[in-house]
Amino acid sequence: MNGWSGFQRDLLEQMPLILAGLRQTLQLTVIISVTGLLFGLVVFYFSNSPYRWVRSLIQGYISFFIGTPLIVLLFLMYYGLPQWGLKLSPFLVAVIGFTMNVAAYNAAYLTTARNGLDPSEIESARAQGFGRGQIFRWITLPQVLRLSVPALTNQCIGNLKDSSVAFLIQYTEFFARIQELAATNFQFFKAYLLAAVVYLGLVSILVLMARQVEKWTRLPGLGR
Amino acid sequence: MALIQIRNLVKKFGTHTVLDGVNFDLQKGEMKVVMGPSGCGKSTLLRCINRLVEPTSGTILVRDQDIMGPEVDVRALRQSIGFVFQQFALYRHLTVLGNVVLGLRKLRGMSRAEAEAQALFQLNHLEMADHRDKYPSQISGGQKQRVAIARALAMDPAVVVFDEPTSALDPVMVREVAELFNRLNQEGVTLLCVTHDLALASQIAKRVIFLDQGVIRADDTLENLAKHHPNAQVRAFFGDKEAQS
Repeated sequence: MNGWSGFQRDLLEQMPLILAGLRQTLQLTVIISVTGLLFGLVVFYFSNSPYRWVRSLIQGYISFFIGTPLIVLLFLMYYGLPQWGLKLSPFLVAVIGFTMNVAAYNAAYLTTARNGLDPSEIESARAQGFGRGQIFRWITLPQVLRLSVPALTNQCIGNLKDSSVAFLIQYTEFFARIQELAATNFQFFKAYLLAAVVYLGLVSILVLMARQVEKWTRLPGLGR
Repeated sequence: MALIQIRNLVKKFGTHTVLDGVNFDLQKGEMKVVMGPSGCGKSTLLRCINRLVEPTSGTILVRDQDIMGPEVDVRALRQSIGFVFQQFALYRHLTVLGNVVLGLRKLRGMSRAEAEAQALFQLNHLEMADHRDKYPSQISGGQKQRVAIARALAMDPAVVVFDEPTSALDPVMVREVAELFNRLNQEGVTLLCVTHDLALASQIAKRVIFLDQGVIRADDTLENLAKHHPNAQVRAFFGDKEAQS
């Protein structure tokens, strides 16, 4: 167990920074999960537009962001945009980049869930006199959200894990601090093992919360 | 004046003509049955009346108002026509009570208390109040139909239209459905029902309209249609054994 005491000493010394990094990680995860869901709902709403060009635009958006590695988008904004005179903070780049990416995935999950709806319910709502927006708000959305809970909560878990990518654009989140710890004493295995254990612990908490949400939102006959 | 007047109604899907000049009137308080084989245009006819399907030509007057007119509020028109679908189309995420309350709250702007009182009155009327907290997946087909009727009646429509009301039900339910329709009609509800169920038609109407290939071929009593109609196919449809063989 060569170097344990040195590693522990460095770990304790850098603990305030590591905890600050952890806070940044959690902050980014919560923000992009919320903004990714909200923007995903907007994208989902327009994916069913009566106008073909709007539907094509939305399909293009979803395909582009699902088909492009997130890191490319983050680098494009963080390193590319300053060449055009627009310099954004690492946090802002991370929030915008992740939101666009996560929204595309969430919209794709919601669109898939919509295919599981009974079209006669939509026709019935139209026959009752509901407008498009009302049908979306009162019939489509409550069902689609319930059907998508497992996919949406998995996305939140993915957001937590993927947030580590943000260290590559100088956002000093948890993984960035672990990198610093590893660079201090060259105990890479211990440092990254610690990171893995912390991520696993956080993901386990999220999984338990996700199960609870699934339980709350489950309804008889709604396909789950 | 008739509640609904349909004149020369034509509906084409591309080159396929589904309705080819349909004419009929529905009087207030009447229960009218339109029969015909599958694919004859029955469901399209119903959907034209509330513009779920846009007619190609012809006129439909509902309470003397041309529903194709530019000033027509289509959503208000639909609220005045209760529609009970073949598969009942209850909202799966809402309870029985929630299904009836939704339209009252969001379309009529009632308070929750008002809407629930009105919904419970209708559910009670259709003997479904005890099931108010159940979800559609937890009730039978016949019960779903009653909820769908309560949902339609709660909006106080001028007419309730039924699209194949017995096709999703057990055959033994036909008598029960017929009794319910007769009761509603006696209470003053105007009903328009499209069906190919002869057993149902015979229990709720003396006269039926026969729609075939988008055209009304006959408007007569079931007995005359089965025994005396000049067309053997029509007689066969209405159960004439000789014409069937």
